[in-house]
Amino acid sequence: MRNLFILLLVGMLLLPATAMAAPTLEDLQLKIEDLSNELDEMYDIVEKNETHTAKDRIEWYGDMRTKVDSVHYQDITWNPGVSVDLFQFRDDVFAGNILALDPSTGQPVAGTPLANFAATYPQHLMAFMQGVQNNTLPAVGAFSMLGLDLGESAGKGDLNNDILYTTRLRLGMKAEVWKNVNFSGRLSMYKNWGDSTGIKVFDSWDAFTMDGTNGGNTSGDWLRVERAYFDWKDIGGSDFYLSIGRRPSTYGPPSQFRENEMRGGTPSGHLVHFNFDGITAGYKLSKLTGIEGQTVRFCYGQGFESQYGNGELYNTNDFATKDTHLGGINFDILNDGTNFLQLTAFGAMDVVDGFKGEFAFPSQLMPLFAPTINQDAQNFPNMNFQVRYQPSTVIGDILLGGLGYVRQEENGVNYFASLAYTQLRPNGDAGLFGGMGSDNLYVATAIDTDGDGTEDQIMPMPTNKVADDSNQDGYGVYVGIQIPSPGGKVGLEYNYGSEYWAPFTQAQDDVIGSKLATRGHVGEAYYIFDINPNMFIKVGGLYYDYEYTGSGSPVGTPQKVDDVLDGTAVSLLPVADTAWDGYASLTVKF
Amino acid sequence: MKLYKLLAIALILAFVATSALAIEGGNSRKGKYLFKKSCKACHSEGAEGGNVTPLSKTMSQWDRMFKKAKHDPKAWEGLSEKDLLDINQFLYDHASDSDQPETCG
Ligand code: HEC
Repeated sequence: MRNLFILLLVGMLLLPATAMAAPTLEDLQLKIEDLSNELDEMYDIVEKNETHTAKDRIEWYGDMRTKVDSVHYQDITWNPGVSVDLFQFRDDVFAGNILALDPSTGQPVAGTPLANFAATYPQHLMAFMQGVQNNTLPAVGAFSMLGLDLGESAGKGDLNNDILYTTRLRLGMKAEVWKNVNFSGRLSMYKNWGDSTGIKVFDSWDAFTMDGTNGGNTSGDWLRVERAYFDWKDIGGSDFYLSIGRRPSTYGPPSQFRENEMRGGTPSGHLVHFNFDGITAGYKLSKLTGIEGQTVRFCYGQGFESQYGNGELYNTNDFATKDTHLGGINFDILNDGTNFLQLTAFGAMDVVDGFKGEFAFPSQLMPLFAPTINQDAQNFPNMNFQVRYQPSTVIGDILLGGLGYVRQEENGVNYFASLAYTQLRPNGDAGLFGGMGSDNLYVATAIDTDGDGTEDQIMPMPTNKVADDSNQDGYGVYVGIQIPSPGGKVGLEYNYGSEYWAPFTQAQDDVIGSKLATRGHVGEAYYIFDINPNMFIKVGGLYYDYEYTGSGSPVGTPQKVDDVLDGTAVSLLPVADTAWDGYASLTVKF
Repeated sequence: MKLYKLLAIALILAFVATSALAIEGGNSRKGKYLFKKSCKACHSEGAEGGNVTPLSKTMSQWDRMFKKAKHDPKAWEGLSEKDLLDINQFLYDHASDSDQPETCG
C-alpha cells in the first residue's frame, strides 16, 4: 500500500519534471529517498495522533463569566408573624373559653388574658371587635411576632450594594460511549468574590444551598456536578431515546437569548430552571410527521428523598414526608431554526414544605424560635449556626403548564413569548414555613407567661393545618426581543407573575433572585457586545417590582407587599417593594 | 461615588467591546435555507453525494473546504459568492465542534 503511494507520488513528480527537463536517475533516487523518509515521519505523527484520539475519551469545553452587579433594594421590611384563626378566636371569646368577657359590661374582665391582650394590642382588638359587630371579620388575621400591633409598621429601609462581583465557571464534558450512546456532563462553580463558605445567612430562598439550585446560587469555590447524563439513541433501530442522570433542566428556552448562548436546556426555562435528577424517554416525531425538530419527551424526576439520609434508623422519626416525584411532557412541536414552539406540562406530586438544604441560621430568628439558645448566642453576635434543613410534612401537589414560541428571523432579530400556568393543590397540612400556598394556621390560646399558674396572655399556637386549603391558580407571562446592533445585539425583556405564580425557576443565577419566579413585574434591558465568537461583554439592567411576597416559593400565603409594609400583613422572611440591578459581565468560551 | 466607579467600569468595557467589534461573515440563517435548497438534493441519505450535514465536518474543515473550493464546481454552479459565504457560515456555525444546544436526546 505504502509502496504504491510512493510510486504515485513519484509519478506526479515525474509529470512536470519530464515536461521541463529530464532529471538524472540519481536525482530521482534521492527524491524517492527523501519522500520515503518524510512518509515515515508522517506515519509516526499520524500514529501518535491516533493513539491520542483513542485515549482521549472525554471532550472538554466550557465558559467563564465574570460579572459585576450593582444591587439596590427599595423599601425592605421585615415583620415576621403568623396567621391566626379569627373565627376560632371569636367563638372562644364568646364561649368564654379564653376567660374573657364580663357578661354584664361586655368588656374583658381585668387581669384576664383577653384584658392583657387588649392592653398590649389595642388595634388588634379594635379591628376584631369591629369585624364581629359588622359581620366583616376575616377568617384569618395577621399577628406580628415582633410584638407589633395591627397596622404598626416594622419600619423600612433601603439596601445598596454598589459592587458585587461573581465568577461562574462551567466545564462541559462529552464522550462517545458507543455509536448511539453519548455521555454529557457539566461541572460548575458559581461564587461571589470573597466567600467560599458554601452557605449564606438565610434571608430569602436564594440564600439556601440545596440540590436544585446549587448551580444558580453562589455557593463557594466548589466545582459541583450540575449535569451528568447519557443519551441512548435510536434504541433497537427506532426513533426512541432514553436519557438518565442529572438533567439538562436549566437555561431552557426562551431564556437562552439573554445568556447569549444556544438553547441551554430541555424544558421551558419559563417554568423549569432547576437541577433535577431523573429520566427522559424521548421520541423523534419529526421522522414520522415530517415536521422539523418535532420531538416529544416524557420526563420523570425526583426532588426529595424521604427515607434515606434523614436519620430514619433511629426509628423515632415521625416526619410525615414522602418522596417528591415530578413527571410530565416536554413537546417541541416545531423546531426548524426559524420557529420554535414548545408545550410543557408537569406535575409535582407529594411536594414537601421546602427541600433538604443548608443555610446559616439568622440571629434575627433566634429570639423568635430559639429563645434559650439566643441567650448564649448574645456573646457571639457575628457567628451563625450552620443548619441542615429538612422538610417535615407533605403539603400537596403542583401542576405546571406552558406554551412558548420563539421566532428567529433571517435578519438576526429574535423574539419570543411564553405563557405559563401553575396550580397549587394543598392537602391541608402545613409545616414551620406554611402549607401549599397558604400559611400555617395558628389559634389564639391563653397561656401563662409569668409562670404563676394562671393564664395571663393570649398567644398564637400552630395547628400545622393550612389557613386555606383551596386550589390556587397562578400565571406568568414572559416576552422579549433581541435586535442586532453595532457590534452585537440589544435585548429587551419583560415578565410578570401573578399572586400565586409558582414555577420551578429558582436556579436562575440572577443575584437578586430568579426574575422569572417574581410575583410582580420585571423589566430587563441589555446590550451584548460580541468581541469575537468566543468572547462577549454584556451590559444591562434589571428592575423588579414585587407585588406579592413569596416569589419562588410555593409555601405560605402570598401577601400584598404594601400590606406588609404598612403592618397589616406579616412575612417570615424580609420583603422588598422594588429592586434594581445594573450589571456588566465578560464571558469567555473555550 | 461607587456608582460612578461602576459606570466607569461599564464604559471601559463598552469601549473595549466596540473597538474590538468583529464577527464578519455570512448570514447563517440564509445559509441554512440555501443549504437545504442547493445541497440537500445530492446530499441526503441515498442521494448521489451521500448524506452531508453540518455535523459532517469541524469548523475549520468546513472553512478549508470552501476556501479551497474542494468540490466538483459544476454542482455549485448557480450559487453566487455571497450564497456560498452564507452556506459556509451556516455549516461553520453548526459544525461538529461548534456550540450545540444543551438538551438531551
Ligand atoms: C449535483 C449534485 C451535488 C450538489 C448540488 C452538491 N454536491 Fe457535494 N458532492 C457531490 C458528489 C457527487 C460528491 C462526491 C461524493 C463522493 O465522492 O463520495 C460530493 C461531495 C461533497 C462533500 C464531500 C467532500 C469531502 O471533501 O469530504 C461535501 C462536504 C459536499 N459535497 C458538500 C456540498 C455542499 C455544501 C453543497 C451545496 C453548496 C453540495 N455539496 C452540493 C454532489 C453534489
